[in-house]
Amino acid sequence: MRANQTLSLQRTAQIKKVIKMVALTVTIYTLAILYFSPILYMLISGFKTEYQAVSPSFVFTPTFETYKSVLSDPSLYGYLGNSIFQVLASSVLCLLLGLPAAFALAFGNFRKKGTRDKIYMWFLTTILLPPVAVLIPLYTWFHAWQLNTTPLGLLMAYVGFHVPIVVWMLYSFFADVPTEIMEASEMDGCTRFQQMMHIAVPLVRTGIISACLLVAVFIWNEFFLGFNLTGNDTATLPVYMSRFREQQGMFIAQLSASSTIAILPAIVVGWMTQKSLVKGLTLGAVKG
Amino acid sequence: MKKKNDWPFILPAIFVVAVMTQVPFLLTVVYSTLRWNLARPDMPIVFSGIDNYLFFLKIPDFTVVPEFYSIVLQTIIVTVVALVICTVIGFLFSILLDHPIPGVNIARTLIMGPFFVMSTVTGVIWKTTILNTTFGWYGVLAKSIGLAPVDLLSYYPLPVIIFLFCWQWIPFFVLIILAGLQGISGELVDSMRIDGLNWWQSTFRVKLPLIMNHIRVAVMLGLVFIVKEFGLILVTTAGGPGTRSYTLPYQVYMQIFSASNVGRAGALATMTVVLTLLAVNFVSKSMKKNNL
Repeated sequence: MRANQTLSLQRTAQIKKVIKMVALTVTIYTLAILYFSPILYMLISGFKTEYQAVSPSFVFTPTFETYKSVLSDPSLYGYLGNSIFQVLASSVLCLLLGLPAAFALAFGNFRKKGTRDKIYMWFLTTILLPPVAVLIPLYTWFHAWQLNTTPLGLLMAYVGFHVPIVVWMLYSFFADVPTEIMEASEMDGCTRFQQMMHIAVPLVRTGIISACLLVAVFIWNEFFLGFNLTGNDTATLPVYMSRFREQQGMFIAQLSASSTIAILPAIVVGWMTQKSLVKGLTLGAVKG
Repeated sequence: MKKKNDWPFILPAIFVVAVMTQVPFLLTVVYSTLRWNLARPDMPIVFSGIDNYLFFLKIPDFTVVPEFYSIVLQTIIVTVVALVICTVIGFLFSILLDHPIPGVNIARTLIMGPFFVMSTVTGVIWKTTILNTTFGWYGVLAKSIGLAPVDLLSYYPLPVIIFLFCWQWIPFFVLIILAGLQGISGELVDSMRIDGLNWWQSTFRVKLPLIMNHIRVAVMLGLVFIVKEFGLILVTTAGGPGTRSYTLPYQVYMQIFSASNVGRAGALATMTVVLTLLAVNFVSKSMKKNNL
């Protein structure tokens, strides 16, 4: 009798657990889909014709017509090319500058004890500097020397603003590398440069890739400097997208298709890097 | 061995960062003391002391709030309200997403989505496909239940902007807070269950204090990112109606592009930076104190 009771108690507990699980699952998925729905609707609307897009709905016969017309607009490729150039060039430059710096901050010797911490903090505070702080002199320089007709001016600004982020993230990855390995390799007569290239870099490969990708996403999405420091020939995709602001609900299909092209790379890359992004952000900051 | 000099590794980075960020900032401070208008090349650039600051700070008539102060107030409202909402909702979302339901990674990934969308796209997408009173979901749904949709962007510019900031930045808070929750050891969670703590106690009395550091990081970075947000405001309300949805960075932009006034823009930018750094410092300190 008692055994039966405990059995049924166990069963009700189990059933309760299952019900709770189902309820949680439904809630979480509903929430996630609702939260994502503006993006979802945009992804879908790119496959509508303008006529179909006028009335909001999720049911329609998909077509590639809008994409064809968006992709046949030559001006899009100018912006796309500029964005790709900025992203590639600044990621590479940020890495070339940031990697040795982070390495030296993690393992280097400086004459005074506190120097390392001071430089690290200096990089961190630079991250906090809002871009309005630099806009005006950069704007006047760009104005005076016609720098907004070449992509190099904006590139320099981007590198300056994103090197600290690379240093910050890579430092948190280097901090996980045991110092014994470094000391051992020093005994074996490795130069600092060899240590960095042959020992440290292979150990933090994921960190390097994710720091690069994070910087790439930030620059791909950057608008303030891109908008204010470029001319017609050097403007990037976020600037192109901002031109849709006057449309008052017209050309929804075209807007959706262009938006999809503009955001898909960042979303995909962002999703791939979110794990190491968390690591870089929290490890560096929770300590400091 | 110890005599190795590691400066060559680090100097190029310091040089580039200094030249592109610190030097321009110092110049901004210098410019803020000049009378300099790009649209008037005939007028000489002269030193004007703190005139540019006084232009914004002076209160000619105590019955009206000068534009500068209302813009500062708007910036503070937008930032503080957005940060509070992001923290609260971000925490609640993280608690939900911490459950091991089947395929929870898909749900997490969907919620992360808006964070990676460029702000100009966020702005135009919400403005045209959702908030538009004729073609957007909001307009169509409101009409279908017999309401007359109002143009939210002109009637409630600040709440809409705050809402959109939150939509973009809650994922970032979830990303960091969830990482904190998952760092809590399984043993602790088990022992809380054995001790008979209810959901409320275990969530707010035990877990919340444990992840305070993560919340602090999220709030500080969120603060820096939200204060500088510019694109979203430009594409949705363009600061309007009037100056009702201006924030400080937007006002700096208007000073340099519409008024071409380098000196005044410099003064505004300097004050913006000082206010931002003060706020970051304040948040960092006060949250640390509460934690200890």
